[in-house]
Amino acid sequence: MVQALNIRSFTIAGLSVFLSVLAAPLHAEGDAAAGKNKTAMCAGCHGIAGFRTAYPETYRVPKLGGQNAGYIVNALKAYKAGDRQHPTMKAIAASLTEQDMADLAAYYSGK
Amino acid sequence: MNKLWIAMIGLFAMVAAGNALAGGDAAKGKEKAAICGTCHGPDGNTPIMPEYPRLAGQPDDYLEKALRDYKSGKRKNPLMGPLAQNLSKQDMKDLAAYFSRLSGDLKVKY
Repeated sequence: MVQALNIRSFTIAGLSVFLSVLAAPLHAEGDAAAGKNKTAMCAGCHGIAGFRTAYPETYRVPKLGGQNAGYIVNALKAYKAGDRQHPTMKAIAASLTEQDMADLAAYYSGK
Repeated sequence: MNKLWIAMIGLFAMVAAGNALAGGDAAKGKEKAAICGTCHGPDGNTPIMPEYPRLAGQPDDYLEKALRDYKSGKRKNPLMGPLAQNLSKQDMKDLAAYFSRLSGDLKVKY
């Protein structure tokens, strides 16, 4: 009886750990309103239709409005880590916290 | 005088043909885009994962650069790196031309 109870409580404890792991957000939750206040460094290039990078290569910068939030966060992390190369984006991404990235992604991905 | 004109027209035609070759062909890009659509969505606007980007409407020169950087390893991604190895410069231009001309949810947002 005691053993059965122990097994049961062990199973319950195990299940709740499992569920809490499932429930924990994989990334910081983004706040679109907070993100809107953090776009000062983005808008000078991404806020202008047809804007072209000048250095080191010339091409039109990507549109961010309507892009997937998870992709935007990963892009910023990749610039910060050096997995994507662009001097300006690397410097900007390096100045962002994970929360900043999540907030910006929530803002740009929103309608 | 006539010879000069013929030479000038010939030169102009060569430059025009060169420009056409340098650009992407969206129709050819469509033929090469099947594998892209499996993840990014056949319309380039419905990726199967939130971590995958929408492509429809993105500038062609940006898309081309992304593919170039995936191939060279300048941009690191375990999925796109190997896929880009199979693409020629012309394939990249054609794919970029195709996806940039599709319309989706992407827009310039201030």
